[in-house]
Amino acid sequence: MSILSWCHWLQNTPFATGIRQSDLLFPLIEGSHIMALALSVGLILAFDLRLLRLAFAAEPVSRIMEQFVPLSLPGFAAMFITGLLLFIAQAEKVYQNTFFRFKLALLVLAGLNALLYQVKFYPKMAEWDKTGVVPRGARVSGALSLIIWACVIALGRTMAYEL
Amino acid sequence: MSLQQIWEWSYSSKAVDVLRNAKYAIPVIQSFHLFGLTLVLGTTVVFNLRLLGLGVRKISMQAITNQLWRLAVGGLLLSVATGILVFIPDPARYAANTAFKTKLVILVLAILFHFTVFRKVVRANAPPQFRRAALIAAVSLTLWFCVGWAGRAIAFLG
Repeated sequence: MSILSWCHWLQNTPFATGIRQSDLLFPLIEGSHIMALALSVGLILAFDLRLLRLAFAAEPVSRIMEQFVPLSLPGFAAMFITGLLLFIAQAEKVYQNTFFRFKLALLVLAGLNALLYQVKFYPKMAEWDKTGVVPRGARVSGALSLIIWACVIALGRTMAYEL
Repeated sequence: MSLQQIWEWSYSSKAVDVLRNAKYAIPVIQSFHLFGLTLVLGTTVVFNLRLLGLGVRKISMQAITNQLWRLAVGGLLLSVATGILVFIPDPARYAANTAFKTKLVILVLAILFHFTVFRKVVRANAPPQFRRAALIAAVSLTLWFCVGWAGRAIAFLG
């Protein structure tokens, strides 16, 4: 069975059809997906900007990370769940959408970028944070995060335009 | 020149015609509209969590206001500017849309509240009592998220 035919099956399940055809449910899920931007990307921004010294330069990076990153996790969870429901409801068209495929690829990149920070810069954060100088790689990671999320938002908006 | 004449002039201008007909002009502008939304709603969430003592407690209200107020203002300017660009090519559609009109009313209320009561409380030296903070947070979050929801409803209410 190809992925496309699986998507065809998926969006024709009673669950998917129910969401897609609901006058209330579909806009509600889509709206929640967008409002969750404030609770996810809107909060992680502070950490990225701190890495670049563009905000909270007087605070240690570790404090900004500890205060903002856990706070953004429920928002990212809401984003993922509502996104999954939107995909299920329109799986066949969404799967064939080029903007969606780029968006998915960038989401993987965002994950890898966060993982890289955790593996490479987080273990020694206590040391470099004391010096007040953010390692170049960590700054690049912050900049990449901002760029990737901006592109994810733009691709998400544009893909919906094509559905 | 009346407002009506301004719309008519801009509606038929060449620049707006390009905006209207370029395939991806509107979604690209709307992407920037969403960047603005992320900044405005995101900073509003941070301010209110701090005000209520529910989050970011290890950073002072003063530091948060110093660092994030300009992001909120920048986000608002970006959203308003891009919002105007989306409105201009198709003014009749938006002017007739109930969700759009509702959004404008709530937006005006949100801006008024944000730059008066809210601005004062996030700049105050002493934090407000919890009951007052809770009331302010409820008004602030309701107003800004309703702007977002009303905006989303424009597409669905036709």
